[in-house]
Order: sequence, then C-alpha cells, then structure tokens
Amino acid sequence: MAVVSKIMRAGAAKPNPLTICIVANPVIEAPWNAGTVAKDPLIGQLAAFQAAATYIDSALFGLLPGQQENLLADPALMPFIRVVSLYDDAVPITLQNALVAQDGGSNILVARRTAFSPFLAQYAINADVAYAVSASVTHTRASAWFTTDDDTQGGVPFTLDGNQFFHRFYNTIPGTVAIHVTANSLTALHEFGHAISSYSNGKILDLYVDSPAALNNNVGRPIPASFCSYQGTVFSTDPVRNGLGYPGSWLSYHCELIDPACPAVMDNYWLCGKGPVACLHDAVTKAFIRDRVVAKINRP
Amino acid sequence: MQPMKPEQKRSVLENSPQAQPSDLEEYERLLSLRFTEDPDQPPAASPEEQSEADVQLKREDRIKQLYRKLFSSVAAPAQQSRR
Repeated sequence: MAVVSKIMRAGAAKPNPLTICIVANPVIEAPWNAGTVAKDPLIGQLAAFQAAATYIDSALFGLLPGQQENLLADPALMPFIRVVSLYDDAVPITLQNALVAQDGGSNILVARRTAFSPFLAQYAINADVAYAVSASVTHTRASAWFTTDDDTQGGVPFTLDGNQFFHRFYNTIPGTVAIHVTANSLTALHEFGHAISSYSNGKILDLYVDSPAALNNNVGRPIPASFCSYQGTVFSTDPVRNGLGYPGSWLSYHCELIDPACPAVMDNYWLCGKGPVACLHDAVTKAFIRDRVVAKINRP
Repeated sequence: MQPMKPEQKRSVLENSPQAQPSDLEEYERLLSLRFTEDPDQPPAASPEEQSEADVQLKREDRIKQLYRKLFSSVAAPAQQSRR
C-alpha cells in the first residue's frame, strides 16, 4: 500500500471547487522549529485515519449525533464543497514533509502551514482548508492558522463597520489545522472557524480567552449594545456571554448568540449545559463564514 | 485552538500548587494570541515591525515560563518553540 486517496464529497463540477483536504500527517517535527523529525505514529493506522476523516467531515456538515450547527449542510453550500482525504505511508521522513509539529511549550499540535501546499500539490490537491491528522503520543490539542488570502486576486467585497474588505477567492497559504486522531465533538468545527477566516479580511478568534479585536470579538468597557455592522446589518452584543459571564479582568465582548442557551462554537463549547454539540456559531460569525464560503464556491 | 475542558483545568491547578488560576488564564490567552498573527510575514523592515517581532519573542518566552510553572509535575522544561 502507498497512497490511499478518497473523494469524500465531489463538490462542484468545476476545475477549482472549494476544497477541504484531510491528510494523514506523514512526518512530525518535535519540538516545533527544532528541525528534528520522525514518522508520525498515525502512519500504519489507516483505519484510525479514516475514522478521524469521517469524524471531521461529520463535524463540518452537522452530522454528529445531536449536533445543532449545520451551516455547511445547507443545500446551497454542501453539494458544492469538495472534501478529499489522503493517506500515504511511503512519504520520505524529511522536514519538508512534516505537516505537524509538537509545540515545545504546550501539548498543542501546530500546523506547519507553509508545508501544506507544496506537499498536497504532489497529489494534485489545491486546498482552501487542510486538516493534518496526527497520532502524536504526547500532544493531543488541536490548533489552526487562519488563511493567508491572495489579495492580488479577486473577491466579493463586504463592509465591516464602514470599512471595505473582501471574501477572497484564492489563498497564498490555505487555512491549516493540526488535529489529533482522537479529536471529537465540535473540535474540528471550531478549528474550521479559525482556518476559513483570514489574516487580512477578517479573523475568527477564540472567545474563551480575552482576545484582541477581530471579526467575532470586540474590546472595551462599558459593553455597548451594538456589536458591529456587517454588510449593512447591525448585530447586537451578547451582554452576558451566554451566562458564562465576562471575567472582570477581560475587555473582550462578543456578538449576539443565535441560541442564548449555549456558548458560541468559538467559545468553550465544553461548558455548554446541553452538551457541546448543542452549540451554534454567534450571529456575525455565521454570516461571515457563510458569505466567505459562498464567495469561494462561486469563484471564477 | 481547542479549548480545555473544565476538568483539565482543575487537574492542572491541583497538580501544580505553585500555579494560580490567573497563570492558567494568562497561559491560555498567550497561546491563543500566537495564532492570531501571521507567522509568515516578511522579515521586519521597519522599527514598528521589529518591535512586533520582539513582542512575539517575549510572548513565547513567557509561554515557556508559564508552561514550566503549570506543568512542571508532568513535563520537562519546554524546548525551542519559536519560529
């Protein structure tokens, strides 16, 4: 056996459909930026990788048991999104083939984001968002880098608080996720929220820490009633953070929730009283992701 | 970045009596902040950009300090982790 590539969802019948790739991490760097590499323990565990790929796809498209957030399952979106998985157990153990690193200061798996496009190009895969699945024995916590948009190419303009940005059609570095083979619940969906967002056209941040200002987070006190104006629609603020409350030391505040009974997907979904799969994106995050996905689906 | 479960936070603080909840909160905030900045920007060309790079280096050093404080009972000191 060498390469096992599976088209999990065909996506739009066009040369450049919005593409999500789930790849078995062949080589792991440990620690991050040390340059020392080894074969990822996932290689040799095809069934475990395929189970992880199925989990990621399910989380993305709202198919987990009891899952409420099903944005990408919209019939206007789902048929047009391509999902491919890739497993290759014959990849040379070199640094350029390491898609995941083990952080030296945490148990976080870090995507080696610039390695993804050259690696996937060998298999004729051009991803918008890519997940690398690892079976690290010490590091199990997922993380993601946002997309670096290709701001020299086109996009669909949008306004945020009076400023113009673009849902860009293409990237120079895809959104990248490093995720453990044992990940479950909304973890894959939470990381997608980060990865589909953009360093230059709207960042989607973690809401469970005191974060800087971004698409889904604002900063300041007192907390105002309005959160933002996106595409001419004014979104309200969530004054109580779903009842979790904003710690006294924080300056962050968040957008209104679609279901005020549950934290947002980008918040700490483990704290949801109805179970993590009950969580939904907050209102502006959902609108933004939907518009960005539509732009990429309809790109020329 | 995947959030920690409440029981994981409790375990960290129970296993590291020298650590305070504020240490864990700062550690989590700094780790999350790391991913909000494009790590592949061109090298610093202006004093402002150099200042940003210095801030990032200090942040990574602080992450390592907190890691040792929070996880010293279960992990060796952090090694190189900066880009």
